[in-house]
Amino acid sequence: MIVYNKEELENVTLLDQAQSLEKAGFMNKKQYDEISKELIIPKRHNNLLIRGAFFLLGIFLYSSICSFFTLIIVDLIAENFKILIFLYALVGFVAAEFLSKQKFYGYGLDDAFIVGAQLTLALAIGISTDGNGLIISLILMITSLLSYLRYMHLSMALLFFFATTSSLVYTLFELGATGKTILPFVLMLFSAGIYYSSKPILKNLKPTFYHKGVLLANSFSLILFYLSGNYLVVRELSVALLGAEIDPNSDISFAYFFYAFTFIVPAAYLVYSLLKKDRIMLWIGASAMTFSIYSIRFYYAILPIETFLTIAGLLLFACTYFAMKKLKNKATGITFRLDRFTKANAFMNSEALIASQLGLKPETVLESDMEFGGGGFSGGGSSGEF
Amino acid sequence: MGKFEENATNRLFEKQLIDKEQMDQIAAYRRLNIFSVNTELKLFLYLSVLLFTSGIGILIYENVDSIGHIAILSLLLIVTVICYYFSFKNAVGFHKQQTYFENPLFDYLILAAILLSCTFIGYLQFQYGTFGTHYGLATLIPTAIALFCAYYFDNKTVLSIAITGLAAYIGLSVSPQALLNNDFQQTDSLSYSAIALGLVLIIWSIYSTKIDLKKHFNLVFSTFALHLISISCINNLFEPYWGVFIILLAVCCYYFYTVSYSLKSVSLFVFTILYTYFGLNFLLFKIIDLINIEDLMIPFSFLVPFYFIGSIILFIRLIKKFNKNNADDSIQ
Repeated sequence: MIVYNKEELENVTLLDQAQSLEKAGFMNKKQYDEISKELIIPKRHNNLLIRGAFFLLGIFLYSSICSFFTLIIVDLIAENFKILIFLYALVGFVAAEFLSKQKFYGYGLDDAFIVGAQLTLALAIGISTDGNGLIISLILMITSLLSYLRYMHLSMALLFFFATTSSLVYTLFELGATGKTILPFVLMLFSAGIYYSSKPILKNLKPTFYHKGVLLANSFSLILFYLSGNYLVVRELSVALLGAEIDPNSDISFAYFFYAFTFIVPAAYLVYSLLKKDRIMLWIGASAMTFSIYSIRFYYAILPIETFLTIAGLLLFACTYFAMKKLKNKATGITFRLDRFTKANAFMNSEALIASQLGLKPETVLESDMEFGGGGFSGGGSSGEF
Repeated sequence: MGKFEENATNRLFEKQLIDKEQMDQIAAYRRLNIFSVNTELKLFLYLSVLLFTSGIGILIYENVDSIGHIAILSLLLIVTVICYYFSFKNAVGFHKQQTYFENPLFDYLILAAILLSCTFIGYLQFQYGTFGTHYGLATLIPTAIALFCAYYFDNKTVLSIAITGLAAYIGLSVSPQALLNNDFQQTDSLSYSAIALGLVLIIWSIYSTKIDLKKHFNLVFSTFALHLISISCINNLFEPYWGVFIILLAVCCYYFYTVSYSLKSVSLFVFTILYTYFGLNFLLFKIIDLINIEDLMIPFSFLVPFYFIGSIILFIRLIKKFNKNNADDSIQ
């Protein structure tokens, strides 16, 4: 099923490992260079910027090939323009196959065609079925799974999970009001199912090729599980889907269950991830907790935003300060010390960029006597509204 | 997760790419079972600073009429002074080379101090008109403080705030969002000043390389300069006197192409190439427009895919050449 040479694929994993060993200081640059000469790998780019640039070029190429075809056959199919879009998808699939046969694996160019083909196919089906969501997601589910199994691009795995979830949701919509009511619970069961089936696979996955995809399934199920029971999501969806009107004094059914769920699940993620030392789950838990606070504040704004932000900032600072103090000198387990294996983090690089967003802005002082709303002196933080 | 990595290490050993001693070291280190929350805690510190300064900013903005000005000012001043006090107390002091705080906490404390001083000075000017009609001063003073702190405490985040301050002084908003929305150049004179600022930044970075002053700041200066100059040039390409700017863009791109090699920065390299590509395509378009081949338009469009294939091959070549120069960028 896999289009690439299996040995070369394994070499990709090995080279990544060697690179992280080199960064961690377990081997020197010379040895790493020797290893990278030894191991033959498919053509790929680790650097996201370069991969993105090639992705952009790939999109240009894809669209220019499509317009090329259109020019050739536009006279033949004057009326059946729908077929044309299927043809575009076919172009994408053929080009994807061609590029991966040329050993492009995560180069940027191949990504453009693999993703582009799926999206064009979705568009083509959408046009010919008048936008029937169920059919689109069912077909995408199959095609994206097939192309994940063949090309092993994570984007395809992600698309597969989205397509599967939306197929489930559309099926429930077909059931009418009952389906819509039980939607949160079905999704919870569904994501729990993915989680528990991905876990044993992660533990003893022998052929390593699909490891990242299964890991993605695991993380995806955690996020889906949380979102399917989040109070804000459930409430807004029940208004949007069931047309339920919620009076100021009443609440959605099972409200207390959802309140509890909104806070217990992120807390459980956080605790469990720290116990099991699972970094991805930690990040998901922290973001989920932030979203939970936002969800409740969305309906019950007890404090005005500025007081809330100031206090939240102070509290977070205090908590972090104590955590740092406590973990500073631990040599094992959870610690503040740098792990030799920690990868260079995108956050540290983007920090300066985010801060310049908060930086000084030019004053609009030329206008008369400085109206208040003009925000003449948007000093520092005050310009960083949320 | 760990199991997968260990598996890979074992395979490396089996293939005799690492020796027994290394294997033992790695296994011993892994047995420590370290789970570093360094990045996470730093992120939380950063977030707390942003939350707090935004909260204070909005608080003052909204309640400017109701609370006593003196009360607000003194409270702000106290908090700011406390932040500065601890930062100075724990600072290593000024060095020409890169320095670090012993505890990363203070990197964020100094950031908070800078953001609060900006608010403080802005408030002072707004309420009391301390600088009278010299509005520029109200921007320049925080900028000067930020520049000083950036060099004294060796903080890139503060440095980029200082650069936005400089840009604000000449009337530009150079926040990433403003750049994305392309709303930072309304008038020609503004774009000329943007180019001038970019040139100043370049000259400063060359000079500081010469006197060996905080060389690691050069990437920040170059990034700002590249985007300022290139975007200003590209904006001016749509004016009747585009010829001058295409030459300027070419010179700028050539300069940054060499800089990206010397700094070994992939991000500079990629953006320089993209700006160059845009410029070349623009030139090509102008030429086609000039020779006016309306009848040949359809056969011409058949060539487009080949044009893209050609440019892709060119890009691949460029990147291979760059990689040979042993790229080591932080953005992996």
